[in-house]
Amino acid sequence: MSSYHPKFAVVGHPNKGKSSIVASLSLDDSIQIGNTPGTTQVKRGFPLKVDGKIVYELFDTPGFQRARRVYAWLEEHGDVPANRRIDVVKQFVHEHRDNKKFRDEVELLDPIINGAGIIYVVDASKPYGAEYEIEMEILRWCGQPSMAILNLIGEEDYREEWSRALGQYFRLVRTYNPMTAGHKEHVDLLESIAQLNEAWTKPIKQAIEVLNKLYDLKVEQTVSTISDYMVKVLSFVHKQKIVGEEATPHEEKVAKERYRNKIIEYEEREQRDVEKIWQHNDVQKEEEQLNLDEVGLFSQESASIFGLSQKELILTGASAGAITGAGLDLLVAGSSLFLGTVIGGVVGGVGAMFGFDNLYELKVLGQSVGRRELTVGPMQNLNFPYVLLGRALYHASLMAKRSHAKREAVNLKEVSFTEGVISAEARKTLEKVHVKLRKGKELEKEELAEYTSTLQKSFLELLE
Amino acid sequence: MQQKTTQLSLKSYLDLHQLLNVYRGSHEENRLFALTQKNQKPLALLLAWLQKNLYRVTNQLESTKYLHYLTLFSSLFGFIVLFLGFLTGVALLSYSGSEPVNVIYLLLVMVGLPLLSMLLSLLSMLFGNIGAKVFAHLSPLYYLEKVVNLLPFAKNITFSSLPFSATLTKWIFLQRVQIFSFLFSLGLFLALILMIISKDIAFGWSTTLQVDAKSFQALLSTLSFPWRDFLPSAVPSLELVELSHYFRLGEHLDSKMIHNADKLGAWWQFLAMATLFYSLGLRLIFWIVAHYGFKRQLKKESLAIDGVSELIKEFKTPFISTQSHNDEEHLEIEETLREVDEHLGEKYEAILGWNFSDEQLLLIKDSLGVNSKNREVVGGKNSFLEDKKIIEQLKGEVLVYVKAWEPPTMDFMDFLEDVLANSSIKRVDIVPLGTAERNYKSNREEMEVWLRKLESIDSDKLGVVDV
Ligand SMILES: Nc1nc2c(ncn2[C@@H]2O[C@H](COP(=O)(O)OP(=O)(O)OP(=O)(O)O)[C@@H](O)[C@H]2O)c(=O)[nH]1
Ligand SMILES: [Mg+2]
Repeated sequence: MSSYHPKFAVVGHPNKGKSSIVASLSLDDSIQIGNTPGTTQVKRGFPLKVDGKIVYELFDTPGFQRARRVYAWLEEHGDVPANRRIDVVKQFVHEHRDNKKFRDEVELLDPIINGAGIIYVVDASKPYGAEYEIEMEILRWCGQPSMAILNLIGEEDYREEWSRALGQYFRLVRTYNPMTAGHKEHVDLLESIAQLNEAWTKPIKQAIEVLNKLYDLKVEQTVSTISDYMVKVLSFVHKQKIVGEEATPHEEKVAKERYRNKIIEYEEREQRDVEKIWQHNDVQKEEEQLNLDEVGLFSQESASIFGLSQKELILTGASAGAITGAGLDLLVAGSSLFLGTVIGGVVGGVGAMFGFDNLYELKVLGQSVGRRELTVGPMQNLNFPYVLLGRALYHASLMAKRSHAKREAVNLKEVSFTEGVISAEARKTLEKVHVKLRKGKELEKEELAEYTSTLQKSFLELLE
Repeated sequence: MQQKTTQLSLKSYLDLHQLLNVYRGSHEENRLFALTQKNQKPLALLLAWLQKNLYRVTNQLESTKYLHYLTLFSSLFGFIVLFLGFLTGVALLSYSGSEPVNVIYLLLVMVGLPLLSMLLSLLSMLFGNIGAKVFAHLSPLYYLEKVVNLLPFAKNITFSSLPFSATLTKWIFLQRVQIFSFLFSLGLFLALILMIISKDIAFGWSTTLQVDAKSFQALLSTLSFPWRDFLPSAVPSLELVELSHYFRLGEHLDSKMIHNADKLGAWWQFLAMATLFYSLGLRLIFWIVAHYGFKRQLKKESLAIDGVSELIKEFKTPFISTQSHNDEEHLEIEETLREVDEHLGEKYEAILGWNFSDEQLLLIKDSLGVNSKNREVVGGKNSFLEDKKIIEQLKGEVLVYVKAWEPPTMDFMDFLEDVLANSSIKRVDIVPLGTAERNYKSNREEMEVWLRKLESIDSDKLGVVDV
């Protein structure tokens, strides 16, 4: 199992964002990150593996705590030619393995003396200080290929003075922000790392390919999760036995309540699945729960900004044949009024007439006494699918872009989203499927495939 | 006891269905499993995966019960049908001696009937459920279903209780219809051979229709085309056909016929070949077609089982992992903070700048207006010996400036310990400073980091001042 693969140790002063950078590069949100220096206490490897085979391995390490002492020891024992200085460092590590005083240094030097390249992290939003030179000297003694990363934790920017100093110790100095970095920045950084050592070029190239593939896979899985969810919710019918001939108001109320809860549950599950896909296993969310009562017919009247505007809705509906000539749609009951409203240009207040209560079917089924069923759904509201889709795509795009170094809650409040998620062109294709599901019809395989690929386009646009 | 399955079967279908209800495996497990397999075809992988994981189903396997009843039904029915065929053959060939056995009659039962039933099977195969409905009442399948429904264990083998579709059930039974028909014909054939061996049977032909011997022979010869060339004796000659034409009106047989009784027996070869080819041979082909249709449908439905397509995808998709495998022991963060003093002391014996340069200390002095006759640089690039000398000379009250934005390292804590250990020092005030650009004002977060760390030092001499 000791086949050759490049290793990199992310090292530096305490509290400079080493763990954040590792979290962002390893897409691992379980790493402890905190503003207490010494958060990371032992080194921890993050291998990029394909089918169990390691492509490269990244090490998160504790920060330097007693750099001066280590350096003094090295100087004292290191009267050797430069090419053998690494042996002195090795000797230091071996002699101090059980020495609590040097636990952090031993942990951080260990991967390096075992061949790891050095990624030295500094916070360039703070001024440079000469005390860093001791750490850099120690690293220089290790003689491994190395680069420096300028992380900007605070507001100020001292990158210029840092670059001048770091340039004397490191071949490559780059800025990388672990909090905002996405897939592209990740790949760019890897490309720089590949230049550090000729032997790394090939494996890193492979790593980039692998990460690109992983990214595409995640996009694909996300879209198919969302499309499955849409089909499930839009065709969902809640069934419930009732006692008498007709459903009592109480029975109706209970049935509606269950219907709503199920839909909310579907959404929660979909979001969890998407979070898992993007490897955010532990994300806190600030969001407004899906409120079916407020899914008005027109977005102006609804509390949700994900729905379509009145004009968009009419265009979408007409193009998909949802409004004109739709005999079965519940909307038909109000469609002459609906169109009349449009023609007459009387706009206000119509949405309220199509509130939640009037926009899904409530049926009593069954012939023989004692076997009657009350059914709620599928949702007939034309805007409903777009509200769901808007929420799902927006949530998914936030998850896709979110750095794994972030620990604060993600804000899903709708206000932070203003652009239309779905283009008019895409809507046409989507609406065909929505119409079918609303009528309780089964989808053909091809229809589902087209639906999914349309969603994929919208999703990719959101990711840009 | 597990047999090596290399092909989809009803068993694999039912087992897969049952297994996927309780276990799916993770992408990692499934992919790693796929990589260890020699045969990389999706179906082979699927079956191998099933074999490996089937033990996870702890309930009784549904397939065991189903196949038990299906086999029971098939063998029971097969036996009955074989017996019926034999009886029919014996009845048809019962030759009293007063009247020859009518070949036309035999042909209708041995060739005509099977051909009709094959045609109906073909319709069921081609037109699925619609065809089945239109011709339902003619189809053997229809009657088979009726019979099956009468069985005490019917619910175990009819589709309503099974996970697969009506179409697959149709193919299962279509296949069985072919086998039963084959067995029926086999019974007939055996009866024919047995009767031929044990009796002398005279065959004749008789019909109300206006058919002369010549055209009847032409028909028979056409029917014999498959074996005409290599078994000419099994094709009735014109002479034989003429000889064996009889009419019941005459009350007695033509004397010519009685004369040639030994020749009339020659019909049997033709009849045997006709049965062999038309009811047995063709049936076999139908069985193969039905089997193929069944396999195709089975494959289609096996792949449609919930979870199968995901599984196959996982076999084919590399498993990429980026995360660490060992869990991190999370650091318990100390929440208590050290108290902060708002004011500096009146007068300091010495001012130390931890990691500051002398120029920086001068600027700080100008800015904050705190002075002392002793100003020393500590930490930074100093050696320990240099720091030690400085500490030894200190006494009274000491002010230590630190960079607030740099977290306290153990190096600093060691230094502080040494300072506090010096008994001639009465007081040590630590002042975390912000950057010069911020006028040396530290912010709350930076301050808290220091306070949290210094909380761990238990000494009355120590103070932290925020300026
Ligand atoms: N705003 C911002 N904050 C950052 C950035 N990088 C790190 N931080 C914050 O800086 C603090 C320290 O980050 P860590 O990643 O734990 O630093 P570390 O170097 O691993 O620290 P130790 O393990 O204690 O040595 C955390 O509170 C982070 O949230 C950044 O790019 N931007
Ligand atoms: Mg850390």
